[in-house]
Amino acid sequence: MSSAHGQSPKPPHAFFQHHYNTVEQQAGAAKLGMRAFLATEILMFSGLFLAYFIIRMFYPEMVLGSHELLSKTMGGINTVVLLTSSFTMAMAVRSAQVGNTKGIVINLYLTIACACIFMVVKYFEYTGKFENGIFPGKYFDYARASEYARAHGHELVGLPHIFFGIYFCMTGLHGVHVLVGIGVLIWILVRAKKGHFGPQYFTPVENVGLYWHIVDLVWIFLFPLLYLVK
Amino acid sequence: MTTKTFLNGKPIEDAIEVYEHVSPMSLYVKVLAALFVLTGLTYAVSFADLGPASLWVAMGVAFAKATLVCMFFMHLKYDERYHVFVFLSTIIFVAIFFMFTIFDLQSRDRLNEEQETFFRINQGADWDEAKKTNRPKPGDAKADAKMDAKADAKNADPKAPAKAPAKPDPKAP
Repeated sequence: MSSAHGQSPKPPHAFFQHHYNTVEQQAGAAKLGMRAFLATEILMFSGLFLAYFIIRMFYPEMVLGSHELLSKTMGGINTVVLLTSSFTMAMAVRSAQVGNTKGIVINLYLTIACACIFMVVKYFEYTGKFENGIFPGKYFDYARASEYARAHGHELVGLPHIFFGIYFCMTGLHGVHVLVGIGVLIWILVRAKKGHFGPQYFTPVENVGLYWHIVDLVWIFLFPLLYLVK
Repeated sequence: MTTKTFLNGKPIEDAIEVYEHVSPMSLYVKVLAALFVLTGLTYAVSFADLGPASLWVAMGVAFAKATLVCMFFMHLKYDERYHVFVFLSTIIFVAIFFMFTIFDLQSRDRLNEEQETFFRINQGADWDEAKKTNRPKPGDAKADAKMDAKADAKNADPKAPAKAPAKPDPKAP
């Protein structure tokens, strides 16, 4: 992928391709490609969001009864963790812009740590659901879940397996995105440690940052809709 | 190397230098603080009983947070206008998707009444309780009988005349 253009005095712009006029143009083109991909990600999640809105429109009592079983505290912790990870990611991009290699590495470590905390909290959240018979779709154990709901002072009406199907699908797909993000962040971390990034070339860090911010954005919309809104 | 580099028809001096806007660290910290405040606001408002407005309030706060993340963390504010255009067109398409689907679904009830189509849940014995709580209309025993008659007529004899002879009147009081 690297084609050195003429004599390149420093490694940072060693990936400058011959079909671009300037490095800035190349970086801008890469970023635009990433934004096009992020557009597809947003549209993919919007399908699931629409399913949620439709269920909410037609069966409001069912959604009201079922969503009380979701743990707001864990969702809140996850939101704070993801916002922090978004911040550290932006800090990593900024460190690359000013040429602070150590800063890139530290901030990428922090982002990965926050992402792992998110996955751990999600693990506890899911196992808490599975223990009480709340499974997605057709595996939903109506009897055990109703018991659990009554023990917490709520009543399950209608067909809650649909709501929980949507809940597990949306948070599960989001969790898969976080996992993939962790993998990509580890790759960027390895490259940063090797010293590939500097003020002249930090496109991969920036693009992974864009992806990570979209993951955070989806969660920003997911959290109030699924957990908080009555 | 004395070859000139051109960009959009104009010669440029140094092709290698990258001039990008570097935001100060304080800006990022301020945006993060604002995001935390808005999160706390959503959380607190969710305990207040606002009724149907709670969805709009939550969405409004979520949009504010999304704007902050997009403009500053994703650098959209300092990028070329074309990037903003790409992002906004995504949102517009999502809005079109939502709008058309919800408009269609909201008029479904009246359409079903006019066309006299009925929905039936074919889930088996486990969902008897669910069926009781999810009946859309009161006179559904008649609708069931009507649908059974229609299905029998269709499945019995493919060469028989299309209309079944005796159909109970669904509009009977």
